[in-house]
Amino acid sequence: MTFGSLLALVRINLRREARSVFFLAFGVALGVGSLVFFVSLGLGVGKVIREKLFAVDQLLVEVAPSAISLGSFGTALNQGVIDRLSALPQVAAVFRKMNVRVPAMSRYDGDFFGSPLRIRLEILAVGVDPGLLQRDIQLGDFNDPPVDQPIPGVISTRMLEIYNKSFAPARNLPQLSGSLVVGFTFPVEFNSSMIVPSARGSPIRSQVQVVGLSDRALLAGVTIPLATAIRVNRAGLVDAETFSGATLVAKRADQVPIIVAEAKKMGLKIDDRERQLAESIGLAVTLTTSALTLLSILICVLAAANIAQTLFASVRARAREIGIMQSVGASQTDIRNIILSEATAIGLAGGACGTLGALGLEFLADRLSGSYLPVFPFKPESFFSSPWSVLLGGVGLGVVAAVLGAYAPSRRAAATDPAQTLSD
Amino acid sequence: MISAHRLFKSYPGTDKAEVRVLEGLDLEVAEGEFVAVVGPSGSGKSTLLHILGGLDVHYSGEVEVARTKLQYLSDRRLARFRNRQVGFVFQSFHLVPNLSVLQNVLLPAFFGAESIDKSDHRRADELLERVGLLAKRDRVPSQLSGGERQRVAIARALLRRPRVLLCDEPTGNLDLQTGDEIIALFRQLHREGLTVLAVTHEERISGAAERVLNLRGGLLVNSHQSQELER
Repeated sequence: MTFGSLLALVRINLRREARSVFFLAFGVALGVGSLVFFVSLGLGVGKVIREKLFAVDQLLVEVAPSAISLGSFGTALNQGVIDRLSALPQVAAVFRKMNVRVPAMSRYDGDFFGSPLRIRLEILAVGVDPGLLQRDIQLGDFNDPPVDQPIPGVISTRMLEIYNKSFAPARNLPQLSGSLVVGFTFPVEFNSSMIVPSARGSPIRSQVQVVGLSDRALLAGVTIPLATAIRVNRAGLVDAETFSGATLVAKRADQVPIIVAEAKKMGLKIDDRERQLAESIGLAVTLTTSALTLLSILICVLAAANIAQTLFASVRARAREIGIMQSVGASQTDIRNIILSEATAIGLAGGACGTLGALGLEFLADRLSGSYLPVFPFKPESFFSSPWSVLLGGVGLGVVAAVLGAYAPSRRAAATDPAQTLSD
Repeated sequence: MISAHRLFKSYPGTDKAEVRVLEGLDLEVAEGEFVAVVGPSGSGKSTLLHILGGLDVHYSGEVEVARTKLQYLSDRRLARFRNRQVGFVFQSFHLVPNLSVLQNVLLPAFFGAESIDKSDHRRADELLERVGLLAKRDRVPSQLSGGERQRVAIARALLRRPRVLLCDEPTGNLDLQTGDEIIALFRQLHREGLTVLAVTHEERISGAAERVLNLRGGLLVNSHQSQELER
């Protein structure tokens, strides 16, 4: 029996049993559709967590000096330790960080992108080696400027998102795009605070100009060049020698555990709170979507069982017809192939319809979310991610479920005894 | 053309005892012969036909049809044998109800080594014309009379140009006149060189055959020339 003849015969058989075929394919479509929907949802939410909420770079390791505890004095993160970290063969680069250790505040009174704004804010600042943020700098250089020039500052993309989705709507302030923010200058007073008594020395008045936005910038504060932070700390007569932390860049992601182990050996603390938080939330999303995916697979199994039951009944009803086909030249393999091909067609149709249905439902859910869900930080344009592998996998699962369901009936059909079924 | 030696066949009975149907049967049919096998109901006529046509493989003995030894064939080769060498005509016609007349006639071509092409369609049309049903090629079997259904079955049996036509009570479900028309068709096919083996208990078929074999007690106990042929 040729493939063309097989297809022609399957087409004839499916057409005459259209009603039954529709219900079988519907069962497969239900299982495949829900599977594609939930897997896409899991992938989409996971993507938001990885790329927007916690943009954790797998190559980066954050180290910090360990805190003083009973029995130990901790390890200060000085240049000597930095040099030892740099010497590790797995480390591609080390970027030092130093908190501005004097209080800082901003008094803003003027036009804020078309709206009047009068505000006083305590400001956190951290200085970093310029290389860490180089890729995100959009305006000028990220280096310590002359005293009369504004200090280049980088703000967190996540902070801008929180401002746009929470702060700005609550205070009737304009929402800002990244490009709009770059170039914005605001006053800052180091060694000055509304709540902390002023430290030794007099306030250092300056300006900070936003020169870029970065995922690597301090979330709740401003990131400035390391040399500026050292200068401000020296002027404030506070520690300007030891670093608050360092970002290590691994040569390869699989070398990160080695670097972590080496840093711990040096008495340093690994600051992986964000990574752990991202992993925890990611795990929760994975567990939830896995449960829903299992439910979908169960629907597929039920669809396969339904196909098996229906095809068993069909094979019984078509026993004489099968005998007739055998009498005119059908082999057992031909009969088996006919039944399996019919199931494949049902699975293919069900899988394709289910996958298309899921895509339609995803589109609808995104549209409804865009229209009816309130704006919130990190709200994605789409909650779903449907790569080709998921779509093709969905169709494939439909076929597999149908073929598995048809396997036993096809064997029974092939075992039909034509002499018995054709006896008058 | 057909040769069977020491054929044994039995079925499991109701009280665990085996029911022996064929008990060492021997049969020889020459090429181009029209042979009728007669016998009472349950004598094993249909069983013999199924064995000779490669439909029943649960027997012992030797069977050779169209120079093919059936007992040595795999399922695939046996299917090919049924597709190419023999054509079946059954008492109950055995047409596929949801297929059209044309599709029923073409059914053997679906199981050939090549895809169905125009020559198959042409051949099907020729056969339907010959049996007088070309105008009804798109109808389904339920829209045909008994005689018409049997003529469709004969057209189907002839599609692959078989060397042997095996008929199982081919007029059993037909009225007298229609049965005579079918018998006339068999005789015509026989005159064209086709080997015809019909199992029947109807005298009009045995009367049309060249040779009549009587199946009793699992053996072909006698054979004689058809009286009609002698006339």
